[in-house]
Amino acid sequence: MTQRISKYQRFKMMNPIIQFFKFIYLSIKIMIIVAGGHGGTRKVD
Amino acid sequence: MSKIVILGAGISGHVAASHLRRKLAKKHQVVVVSPNSNYQWIPSNIWVGIGKMKSEKIRFPLAPLYKKKGIEFKQAKAISFFPEGDKTEQKPYVLAEYVTEENKGKQEKVTYDYLINATGPKLNFEATEGLTPGKNKTYSVCTYTHADYAWEGLNTLIQEMKQGKKAKILIGTGHAKSTCQGAAFEYILNVEQELHKHHVRDMAEITWIANEHQLGDFGMDGMLLSYGSMTMKSNEMVEMIFEDRDIKWIIGAGVNKIEDGLAYYETLGGEYKTETYDFAMLIPAFAGHGFKAFDKNENDITEKLFKGFMIVDADYTPKPYEEWSVKDWPETYQNPNYKNIFAPGIAFAPPHAISKPRKSKNGTDISPSPPRTGMPSGITAKLVADNIIDSIKNGKDSLHHKGSLGNMGAACIASAGYGMMTGSGVSITTYPIVPDYEKYPKTQGRKLGKTFGEIGLAGHWLKLALHHAFIYKAKMRPFWWLIPE
Repeated sequence: MTQRISKYQRFKMMNPIIQFFKFIYLSIKIMIIVAGGHGGTRKVD
Repeated sequence: MSKIVILGAGISGHVAASHLRRKLAKKHQVVVVSPNSNYQWIPSNIWVGIGKMKSEKIRFPLAPLYKKKGIEFKQAKAISFFPEGDKTEQKPYVLAEYVTEENKGKQEKVTYDYLINATGPKLNFEATEGLTPGKNKTYSVCTYTHADYAWEGLNTLIQEMKQGKKAKILIGTGHAKSTCQGAAFEYILNVEQELHKHHVRDMAEITWIANEHQLGDFGMDGMLLSYGSMTMKSNEMVEMIFEDRDIKWIIGAGVNKIEDGLAYYETLGGEYKTETYDFAMLIPAFAGHGFKAFDKNENDITEKLFKGFMIVDADYTPKPYEEWSVKDWPETYQNPNYKNIFAPGIAFAPPHAISKPRKSKNGTDISPSPPRTGMPSGITAKLVADNIIDSIKNGKDSLHHKGSLGNMGAACIASAGYGMMTGSGVSITTYPIVPDYEKYPKTQGRKLGKTFGEIGLAGHWLKLALHHAFIYKAKMRPFWWLIPE
């Protein structure tokens, strides 16, 4: 096993307070990207 | 009055039916034809497969909901398509066969004005010899029934490991052309964490096996993504996670045969190898359902409707990978030969793969087929429903609503372990789903800020929130339509 994620990174990943704010941030960001619209790719002359 | 028939009641079919019913007056008929009696929220099968969620939590019966909402439901499977009717029936119809006890085997011509084919894929286990869920120690999480069996198999192994047995676990793709690597990726991370919780992690060797040429390809040609303040490739991110969790990997592997505890595979390098295991979860190849179509004189016109999956407004001209364009992908999911037939979600034939096709030295195709996920299935179903609604209301064909996978974002919230405080998730959001190398030539065809990855507890909460939100939406509870696809 190679530890690729440092203890500090792991702390940040699993800290519920940090992650609560991350949850809010991610929810909004994903909502904007996914629900922010879609369309075609072919231009109509 | 118009009659809209929807084949299938999965994510795509159910989304189309619910929007049509909400927006169309009651004089218009919405009919769902599906052999399944239940709706299932497939993304949560992962948790059923590790025993953290009962399958009852991810499904509900369709008949009472449809009755309440004024949607006609026929528990039947489509057999063949007659888009011009026949000698005795003037209207186009689908021949369907009932599957319920009281009507089993009875066939009916289900006529329509508009047809939405949302039949999804056939799980083609037969394409790999010996790959049958629940046999040869192989399992699947593709349906809730499969996931229930997978948990039974895994739990038995965990109990044996507690008695001192050393075990090998193999998770990934079960065919050289499989897709949905994301589901297998979720499952391997969840299994790994469950073994920790049962204090048997050190008794197991866990191996990822996949037809991807690189980790993190996911059938999407991989991606360049933002991760915190860094920019990294998806293969680097997945490699980091696997190494950190001591998961071994075999890539560029086309599994072609399964025996009891033994997987045979061919590598891109042309070698034929085997891998032993005590428990395996392998995703099968997907295929079309093999439907036939006939004209009014009952001549076979299957090639006008199907190319494995259903033909839609894509560019199917065969061309080399270098000439593939995002413009090849469909925008309206309308069949070009019969304008009142649509195929959103997984039912449409993709113009080509997304990942670069690769062959082994022996000439075997070993590369992922294009992935088909819930989010674009819902979005494409809604836009098809909206175009039909506009056409009915305006009295003329309308195709204003468009949604190419090359101009649409998707979020893949991959659970990496269950638990309110100990869970984890890998959130990967990509925009667009099909890379647009003309628009984003320097970032592997995707917009960097909108293509990002995150790992942590928030990912688990997000997946759990989506589970509850989408089941609420599927049950058509008050204001369900405010929740986006």
